[in-house]
Amino acid sequence: MATGELITAVIVDDHAAIAAGVRYWCERADPPIALIDADGRLANVWTGPGAAADVVILDLELTPRKPEFGELRRLVDSGRRVVVYSQHADDATVIKCIDLGALAYLTKREGPEHLVPAVRAAAGGAPYTGPSLSGALVADTSPDRPRLSPRETEVLRAWFASSSKELVAAKLNITAKTVDTHITRVRIKYANAGRAARTKSELVTRALDDGLITLEELSGSTPHM
Amino acid sequence: MAGVSDGLAERTQAQLRHGLRVAMLVLTAVILCGLSLSSLVRNLHRFPVPQAQFAAFAVLAAVLAAEAVLVVRRRSWGAMRGPAVLIVLAAAALSYTTLDGHTASSVDWAFGAANWVGAAVLLERPLRSMVVFLVAHESLALLDLLVLEDVTRAALARFATGSVTVVGFPLCIAVVAVVLRGIGAAAAAAADELARVRTEEAVAVESHRRRAQRFAELSDTAVPLLEGLADGSLTPDDAGVRRRCAIEAARMRRLFAEADTVANPLLHELRHCADVADRKGVEVELEARGSLPALPRAVRRDLTEAALTALATAESRARVAVVGSAELVSVSVVADCGEVEVPEPATPGVRVEAHGAGGTVWMEARWQPGS
Repeated sequence: MATGELITAVIVDDHAAIAAGVRYWCERADPPIALIDADGRLANVWTGPGAAADVVILDLELTPRKPEFGELRRLVDSGRRVVVYSQHADDATVIKCIDLGALAYLTKREGPEHLVPAVRAAAGGAPYTGPSLSGALVADTSPDRPRLSPRETEVLRAWFASSSKELVAAKLNITAKTVDTHITRVRIKYANAGRAARTKSELVTRALDDGLITLEELSGSTPHM
Repeated sequence: MAGVSDGLAERTQAQLRHGLRVAMLVLTAVILCGLSLSSLVRNLHRFPVPQAQFAAFAVLAAVLAAEAVLVVRRRSWGAMRGPAVLIVLAAAALSYTTLDGHTASSVDWAFGAANWVGAAVLLERPLRSMVVFLVAHESLALLDLLVLEDVTRAALARFATGSVTVVGFPLCIAVVAVVLRGIGAAAAAAADELARVRTEEAVAVESHRRRAQRFAELSDTAVPLLEGLADGSLTPDDAGVRRRCAIEAARMRRLFAEADTVANPLLHELRHCADVADRKGVEVELEARGSLPALPRAVRRDLTEAALTALATAESRARVAVVGSAELVSVSVVADCGEVEVPEPATPGVRVEAHGAGGTVWMEARWQPGS
């Protein structure tokens, strides 16, 4: 996606009200985001106008209690940029979506102040970490999780707790930009761990190019080293 | 509880029944092998067919021996009880029909023995079985007297006097058995009642202790407030008083929530605190991540206190976030509640930090084990 071009997103959600609400948020965004409604059918994400959308907003539970991990994997593997938007919020599910290569995971309690920036970030291939996902990353105790620095953990915890980057910055005596840097570094470490995916390796490569993280820091963060 | 007392009732009754059965066995053995056997041997020359008498004695002795074995093994006659009683009656009939005119006399050894053997077999049965047996036995002897012997006034008188002991004594024993069964049941019921009363008392003492403790906890803060409102020294027009009331109301809600048995008491208590704010129209977010270790009540209270204060006084919105792990539990609240007093934690492992910016207050309570 070139800068200045209109971002397009396709939403697949079995609740028409959610799709309508997201459309409203996208239209009111500045600049607006073009939203395609897949009418709750995954096929519409693969064919028709949905196939060309920059970002896929995926409801993880199109069938109750059956998270669409397989579909998420297929989308990521074919190079799609996915924002998971879900009712489901248990820690393991959240971490699994990130491991599969979703660029953002938002719970449906997180409104336009998180969904719009998440879609924008995803359109550019960048990750977005909302407070809820931040909490899940702090609470992650799985054995193959990447090693985070105490400061990174502190920032994640504060972001989860306050849901305000200004408050986090003021409390920790850093700038809001530094808050973002810490959070992104955590996501790069996660992208470098676990299952391989194109979106994840793109993140790592870009972060290394931008000097956001060094190869040493990255290899030091992987477990069993 | 019911199982225990049922077991007790069972044991008490079994013990009483067994004791009575042993007593009955000894008594019957003494009568059969002492009195009856000596009478049989002494009057051997008077019987026309002594072998028949010995055979009858042997049968009665065999039934009693069987009863002895069952008593030792603590077993019951079961299905064999009926046949055993019939055998006793048959032995008595054999003896009576070969007495040659001595029914109910001192020669008639079986009249006062067969009744006891039969009674020993029937001791555990209801009273009416015993009565039926004694009447049957009595009828056998009477029939024998009327049909096979000379019915004289003296013979009938002898029979009548003999019958008093032959029917009366075993009947007495049977009545005692029934009474003992009643006593056993009553004893068990009394033990049951005692246990129930003790349990009730213990429950009452415990709930009184808890109520007294709760009252003590409220009395420091809530009681002065209520007293002030009652005597007019505090007025609801004062925003500070309204604030204190809101906090006390939330504390009470938490206190009630503390008594609930739930999987996750910390979140349960926080939900109750959040509900207080929710009812005032405050938009409350409550999110929890990670797994919470089991926390003592005092620690939970310290962890929830900051959130409670902020929630109770929030103007329009509040976010409560809980992160749990084995090494750290953090309860954080962000709310637009203006100035608040930062609560002082009572337990050593808890730290409370507050941070305020432009009407928004952020307080975090952290618990670290062993810190």
